[in-house]
Amino acid sequence: MSLYDIRLSFGAAPFIGLENYLYLFTDEVFLNSLIISLVFVFGSVVLGLVLALSFALSLYKCKRTGNFYKALSLVPYLISGIATAIMFRFLFSGDVGLINMILSTLGIDTINFLAEPLWALLICILANVWFVCPFATLVLLSGIQSVDPELFDSAKIDGAHRFHILRKIILPLIAPMMGISLIWLSFASFNMFDVILPLTNGGPGRTTEVMALYMYKVAFGELQYSLGSAVMVIILLFNVITSVIYLKVFNVNYSD
Amino acid sequence: MATSSIFHNIRTWLSNRWYWVPLFVLLIWTITPLVWAVSASFKDAMEVYQTPVTLIPNHFNLDNYIRVFEYPNFWRYLFNSVFLAITTTIIAVVISILAGYAFARYAFRFRHILLIIILVPRIIPRASIIVPLFTGIAALGMLDSYLSLILTYTATAIPLATWILAGFFKVIPKALEEAAQIDGAKPWQIIWYVVIPISLPAIITVSIFSLREAWNEFPFVLAFTSSQEMRTLPYQLFMLKDSMGMQDWPMVLAFTIVTILPLLILYIIFENAL
Repeated sequence: MSLYDIRLSFGAAPFIGLENYLYLFTDEVFLNSLIISLVFVFGSVVLGLVLALSFALSLYKCKRTGNFYKALSLVPYLISGIATAIMFRFLFSGDVGLINMILSTLGIDTINFLAEPLWALLICILANVWFVCPFATLVLLSGIQSVDPELFDSAKIDGAHRFHILRKIILPLIAPMMGISLIWLSFASFNMFDVILPLTNGGPGRTTEVMALYMYKVAFGELQYSLGSAVMVIILLFNVITSVIYLKVFNVNYSD
Repeated sequence: MATSSIFHNIRTWLSNRWYWVPLFVLLIWTITPLVWAVSASFKDAMEVYQTPVTLIPNHFNLDNYIRVFEYPNFWRYLFNSVFLAITTTIIAVVISILAGYAFARYAFRFRHILLIIILVPRIIPRASIIVPLFTGIAALGMLDSYLSLILTYTATAIPLATWILAGFFKVIPKALEEAAQIDGAKPWQIIWYVVIPISLPAIITVSIFSLREAWNEFPFVLAFTSSQEMRTLPYQLFMLKDSMGMQDWPMVLAFTIVTILPLLILYIIFENAL
């Protein structure tokens, strides 16, 4: 479909080869959304993985109230992207947001977070991580739980330091799970749409307009379905490439 | 002397109980947006703007929730959400049980490749299939219908459900089914009387995943429906935010809480079974 020129007003849909792609890669708006997507995904994946890994490790360690925290850690997974976006918008909004109220009681100048490009992007990343991190935590936790606990004990007897156990035993053994949660994090972030649309709608200006949002605007705002599908193919390619890299790096064996 | 022993105490505490630090972060990180939203949803419109901040509202009232329930068409949107979530879940779970059982127990050609292939709808980004699905559904004349949403929701719920169930069925001891077979049970009887009761926890998990998906879905319903009567709760929440110009925070947040609560209650009830 991305190779044709389909618009609502035309009856015919002529074949136009790669013209849509050529147009995209000369279109500043698209290139802008591509860069923002890459920053957004990188930020989300790094922050998401750090949080998910530390949550998973401490959930595994914590025996007493662990179940409560485990249940709690999954709660954002049940909440819709729209609701997440609205709650974060409320937290960071200029006049009523909790964060600004805390800042002003501390005597620091308030910041109109969602009106400043860098802050807006950062808040999009935070909201996105809040939304996608639980599933990554769950995957990593199940990975750690499947490691034989005797390995930890024998390593401790041999005098291994905590960080050695983490680096030499836990991380290599849960590498497949790391790969899966990385795939999840970057897939979800590349395609993130329902958090950003209500949170910033791509604004201020186009500074938080990721590719998925650009695609939606082109396809349903300007009714250029073919151009929209060309963007879709590009998003898809990014997904495939990143997951192939993860699978190679983390040596995921999906035969079982 | 005293300060160094305090540092020492902190260090020994950290080295033994370090995991409380991430757990504390987890607690704050997860509940802050929720608690703040819940608190504001009980305030009146002016109190939201007041400093110093109050966690427990000065004038605790349910007005915002009453306004949500009296919102034009609210019950219709609620019905749409509930109807879509339940229909989708029933269809998806039935299909996934059958498919999962087939993948777990029957040796047929291309089994492994098929199991990978059914994951493809899952791998293709939700945002990026909107456009092709939209033109397909438009060509079938199904825009703005429940059928288009049920079909697409079911299709997105089945792959993961099939995978989870197939994995679960595989580890059920075969002896149980063989015993039933010797007693003359037909395949559907084996599934109904043996497999399903044993794998109830997995089936509940899968149902919650699928409920969650349909209940929270937004891009599809935004793209495929146009009339007001077809909106679901998340869609209306999105529109509400626009129409109110973000001024009436307590009401918007009350609406948000209303959309969150049903799933949360289900989750708390079934959490022990997961």
